[in-house]
Amino acid sequence: MDSLILEISTRGLHRYEPIEAEVTTLGRALDNDIILSDPTVAPHHLKIIRHQDGRLELVNLAAVNPTRVETLPIDTRELTRLPAGIEIGRVHLQLLARDNPVAETRPLAGNGRRGHLFGHPYWAILLALICICVGALDFHLNFYTSFKWSDLFKYVLRETVLTIGAFVLALSILERLLVNRWEMKQLLTSVCLVYLLFEGASVLAFGLDYLLSASWPGTLFHFGWYLAIIPAAIAIYLINISHIKRGRSIVLALLIASPIAAPSILQSPEMQALLDDFSSSASYHNRLSYLNWHLRDTVSIDRFIEQAHGLEPGEIAD
Amino acid sequence: MSAASALAAASAVGLPCGLRLALADLGRSEPYDISLKEYLLRLCLFAAWILLASAFAGPARALDSKEIYQLNEDRVFQVRVLNRETGKKSSIGSGFIVADGSRLATNYHVISQVILEPELFYISFIGNNGQEGELKLLGLDVAHDLALLGADHRLGEAIEMSPLPPRGAPIFAMGNPLDLGLSIAVGTNGGILNQTDDSRILFSGSLNPGMSGGPTFNARGEAIGINVATARNDISFIVPSRFLSALIEKSNSDSYGADTDLKEEVARQALAYENRYIEQLLESDWPSLDLRQLKLPGVISPTVRCWDNSAKLSAAARYKRYQIRCTNQNHVYLDEDNRFVGRLLYEYYWLESEDLNAIQFYNLYESLNKDQVDAELDRDMVSNFNCETWFIEVSSQQMKSNLCRREYVEYRGMSDVLFTAALTGHQDRGFFITLILTGVDYRATLPLIRKFLENTEWIP
Repeated sequence: MDSLILEISTRGLHRYEPIEAEVTTLGRALDNDIILSDPTVAPHHLKIIRHQDGRLELVNLAAVNPTRVETLPIDTRELTRLPAGIEIGRVHLQLLARDNPVAETRPLAGNGRRGHLFGHPYWAILLALICICVGALDFHLNFYTSFKWSDLFKYVLRETVLTIGAFVLALSILERLLVNRWEMKQLLTSVCLVYLLFEGASVLAFGLDYLLSASWPGTLFHFGWYLAIIPAAIAIYLINISHIKRGRSIVLALLIASPIAAPSILQSPEMQALLDDFSSSASYHNRLSYLNWHLRDTVSIDRFIEQAHGLEPGEIAD
Repeated sequence: MSAASALAAASAVGLPCGLRLALADLGRSEPYDISLKEYLLRLCLFAAWILLASAFAGPARALDSKEIYQLNEDRVFQVRVLNRETGKKSSIGSGFIVADGSRLATNYHVISQVILEPELFYISFIGNNGQEGELKLLGLDVAHDLALLGADHRLGEAIEMSPLPPRGAPIFAMGNPLDLGLSIAVGTNGGILNQTDDSRILFSGSLNPGMSGGPTFNARGEAIGINVATARNDISFIVPSRFLSALIEKSNSDSYGADTDLKEEVARQALAYENRYIEQLLESDWPSLDLRQLKLPGVISPTVRCWDNSAKLSAAARYKRYQIRCTNQNHVYLDEDNRFVGRLLYEYYWLESEDLNAIQFYNLYESLNKDQVDAELDRDMVSNFNCETWFIEVSSQQMKSNLCRREYVEYRGMSDVLFTAALTGHQDRGFFITLILTGVDYRATLPLIRKFLENTEWIP
């Protein structure tokens, strides 16, 4: 008779016990063959009997939290097919045949190659340094007073280092809770890539704003960033780095992104405008660009006045 | 005392007819052929009259505040807006008897709540002598903040009105400050303020809430104006009595009935005033002012004051900015929600830098391009703004411009307009103009915007 394997799952952790003896007992007491130290498990909870003729029988021994097979409580139950799901208290078991197929092997991120972005910590450090440089450039372009190293240091520390650090820390804790691993180098690389993508995409979106004399590119970017790009980035990370199943990764990504997205979106002027159908402020197109690339024609004063006659007042709020 | 003024004084206090005739005789200039006895008799008679006049003819000489108070304490009332449900005061002001004795003059802003919510409030008066009753609205002059109210019976003798005394002359404001009882404030005439479109007198005395609508007297006890507003300690404003006289005359032939839409009337009057004001601006020649490389409209009306508003920059700033802000003073009170309309504001902002690169400069430039109409109004007062963007060629330069408009919900045809125009195409220089008009006819503002742009000249 082929031996069987019992998969024991507790809080997402799996361990595997071969079932080779004719009778195997499970419970919290120390005289069991397999000891389960969960308080919801009875001292003697389940007996697995392997008959000579190949039949497999389960016998419930617990008065409290009786054994369930495929969610139904049992006293005695003969198993006719494998795998079979068993619950003992809150411990989940699965009785598997030795030849039960397993999922395909997932490749390591970057296939373990050092040249790959995820393959070596040096890349993560390099990307983090690039982010700091971008943060310093941001400071340079948005500060209009004489240069001071202390200002630069404070700005980069606040806007770049602490931002990236906070994300890495929060996501690594989540990763630890989800898959019991620390993937710091991959996580730092991923957060840095997302940061750089944000910096580049925002410049592009605001440039489009000016080009089209419209605010929808910036608005689309703002909403798209928090509602699509951040969850997508997290999902891709969970699927490819943490090797979590696709559906679960998407749900987890949405859950992880929502605390970041919700305040950013809810506090944005665009969302305020959507939530509140009235504003006392005039929302006009104030963007200016040194490139001065725009698709709108330049009109004469006469033409402007002529067209301005058609300007209607805004909507009256309810 | 001249003979003429003595006559006027005699008339005012009602001296016997014989004495007045005698006084009139004294005004003759040709010599008389009379006996010494008759001459002495007449001289004695004149001396007697002088004594009498000094004793009784108060208004002909300069009165003090006590005498003015005593003369008018029964002719100045507290005007109150009462809640129909609770019978309690919602707002208070003052009023005084004018015209045929059954009418009270006050400020429009004292009773404006009744116009917004006539089903909830009504107007009443109460006098120093306990006399009280309900009042109805007979006429409004929104532009000058005046209202004429009517009682159903005669309230007393009307207060005479008079033109403004010389600048510096003492004047006396009566009213009910803070609901503490009738009082009189003494101050001096600061003259007509041309920055208020001649609709305000500067009163160097103290007006307090509750005195609005009360009369301001000259030293003869005649009303030269109506208390209207205060700015700070001993800087207060009076509406000249000529506007009240015009309102009384108008209401004689055209007073309001039960079917008058008062909100529409308020909007009509405010817009008519603003349209006249804009027309005056369009008709006048505008002096220019220079701001770096631009020649711009300067003080375009006596009602406008321009101030250098350039913020002091720190020594570390790597740019220079120059800001000039011009506003008018002749705002019009609109309603109980403390809305003032008729505001004209234009602001020039020049920015330049030799140290910043083009990206830095435009990041700074854009961050400053955010002017708003700073009136926080609720959804039930105004619509949202609707804005449109243009690139306009102005004096061979290109300006990115935005024009925004919102309308007043309860006042048909009234809009707030915001126009901005930012210079583009220069790497190290920027300029924008902001023009704000509130409570105006939108279409009437377009020629004004055009004139602003046409009077903007780039100096290469």
